[in-house]
Amino acid sequence: MNSELAAKGRRIGQQAEVSSRRAPVWWLIFQQEFAELWLGGRALNLLILFSVLLSITAFLLATNADLSLTPPPLAEEILVQAAITFGLFIGLIIAAETVSGERERATLEGLLLTPSSRRQIVAGKFLAALTPWPAAMLLTVPYMITLAQGDPALLPALIWGGLTGTILAAAFTALGLLVSIWSNSSRISLFVSILLYLTCLLPSQLPGQVQATPALIVVQAVDPVEAMNQFLNRVIVNSLPQVGIGSNPGAEDLTWLYLGGVVAVSALIIGLLFVVVAPRLPLEGEGAGFIRSITKRMEASR
Amino acid sequence: MMQNDIQNIDSKGPGAASDTLLVAEELRKVYGERVALRKLSFTLTAGRVLGFLGPNGAGKTTSIRILTTMLEPTSGRFFVDGISSHYPERIRRKIGVLPEGLGFPKQINAIAYLTYFGQLYGRPAADAREVGLSLLDNVGLQNRAKSPIGSYSHGMRQRLGIARALVNDPRILFLDEPTLGLDPRGQHELLMLIQRLARERNMGVILSSHLLSEIEGICDDVVIMNAGQVVAHGTVAEVVGQTQLNANQRNAVRIRVPAILIGKAQAILEAVPDVKQVTPADAAAGWLVAEFSEPADGNGHSPEESHPANSLLQALIHAGIPIRGFEAAGGRLQDVFLELTAEVIQ
Repeated sequence: MNSELAAKGRRIGQQAEVSSRRAPVWWLIFQQEFAELWLGGRALNLLILFSVLLSITAFLLATNADLSLTPPPLAEEILVQAAITFGLFIGLIIAAETVSGERERATLEGLLLTPSSRRQIVAGKFLAALTPWPAAMLLTVPYMITLAQGDPALLPALIWGGLTGTILAAAFTALGLLVSIWSNSSRISLFVSILLYLTCLLPSQLPGQVQATPALIVVQAVDPVEAMNQFLNRVIVNSLPQVGIGSNPGAEDLTWLYLGGVVAVSALIIGLLFVVVAPRLPLEGEGAGFIRSITKRMEASR
Repeated sequence: MMQNDIQNIDSKGPGAASDTLLVAEELRKVYGERVALRKLSFTLTAGRVLGFLGPNGAGKTTSIRILTTMLEPTSGRFFVDGISSHYPERIRRKIGVLPEGLGFPKQINAIAYLTYFGQLYGRPAADAREVGLSLLDNVGLQNRAKSPIGSYSHGMRQRLGIARALVNDPRILFLDEPTLGLDPRGQHELLMLIQRLARERNMGVILSSHLLSEIEGICDDVVIMNAGQVVAHGTVAEVVGQTQLNANQRNAVRIRVPAILIGKAQAILEAVPDVKQVTPADAAAGWLVAEFSEPADGNGHSPEESHPANSLLQALIHAGIPIRGFEAAGGRLQDVFLELTAEVIQ
């Protein structure tokens, strides 16, 4: 009986080899990861957290608007920036755990032992980790409409916010995956990813006078989060006739420099992931060796 | 087209269209200054089970990871069913692997898991599911096909791991410590399953394990490794026979008596002529090792002369001490293993 079944299985296998109804590997991985992410509740938990943070931000902006402290275009800009900044974080931390978590659970080896292209494995994981982003954007829209109160800046805020947010979400998801591929431990990859994320937020915390220096403009252009902030500030608030940015042509030039910064840095991160790192997705992360060598050096210096 | 032809010719090597499934030639792996593997060479033929033995750190897992394309060797090459190690993706289609400590997703059920892996090997979903069901039947998990993997025992997971390794109908099955953590019954059942699969499917099996007695029972061939190098290779009988055991082991027997009578048995055995010394090997279990002097001609006693081992047994029987076990020292794979691995360490 067993032999018959085994022979049957073998026959089916041979038929399968000539069949053309094969699903691409990236799609299979995507489906698996997607189900795990959404049915496992992780994506949902992060979106609830996202909604809470967005609600707090929107409430503060709305009360300020009532007091006429924050004009609607500025409130929209701040809200869309906040939505993107929180939204990036979701993709980043999901991706940061993707590969290193599989290493910890010892499930990666089984996957790598299949004849699947490693780039496709990474692509499936990347797309799955990106899926909370559209949901986050959809959640943002009602807040934006409520805050805008018919203000004409709503449309550019939604269009440009959606565009730059999507580019940055892809870049930060790719960044999380890069860290995850490098690391053997999900704790380390989460820590490193959060550290990189906070580093990107750092330039926006500097005093206004410093931000105007040429050196910092370069930093702002290459820091994708800050470049996004600067770009959205210009297209949502400064470009409006009532604010009068048209009188300052230099500022307009910088608008596209910042957008270029967002696109270029994102393309670089995504390219690094898919062209250089993904095809060589290793069983063990190189981070382990790196940490070992640091530990050895520290021990030697004592 | 032409390039494809060149690639196909290039990739065919030893073992193509023959019973030889695996040929490893002087594989070497170096990590920094540490040599993890030195010149590993061996062959595997269809329908045979090869035991891969060695103490911890001997290079077994490194060897298996190289042969399963998870690691690149520093030098050397290998061929799987005639395919060169330069084509890892093609090799992965020909092999099935149960790595040591393989993890499983806990939420999904076994059939969904096998269907997923079947699809990753290029099978359409319906066919992958059917193959998965037949494999679950093969490994005795047909009644738990729809249970979440998280509810499986360790032994069931190992069986599922073997089923997963078979979804592509491999020519070679690699099993790294498959019996680790299983109870004795689980170990026995799994080893019997491995042996049956090798015979039924006419595939080669490479089985890495620490369980020497079990390996001896089911393996046709063995490779013994120590400190990154092969110290013995051949059929189990060849390896046991070819190893030069020292004089003490050639002239020693192990006898098991009731633990309570071990002192009395020791005294009786020491009084037997030709016996050099008797030492308790495992007093709690009642094992004694009796060494007797080597015959002067070095070729053993003549047929008409009673062998000292027989005298030992006769002495115990005469004293009314029950004999619970008897074996010639050095006649087991375990003895050879201990001897060979100790030599290299020294």
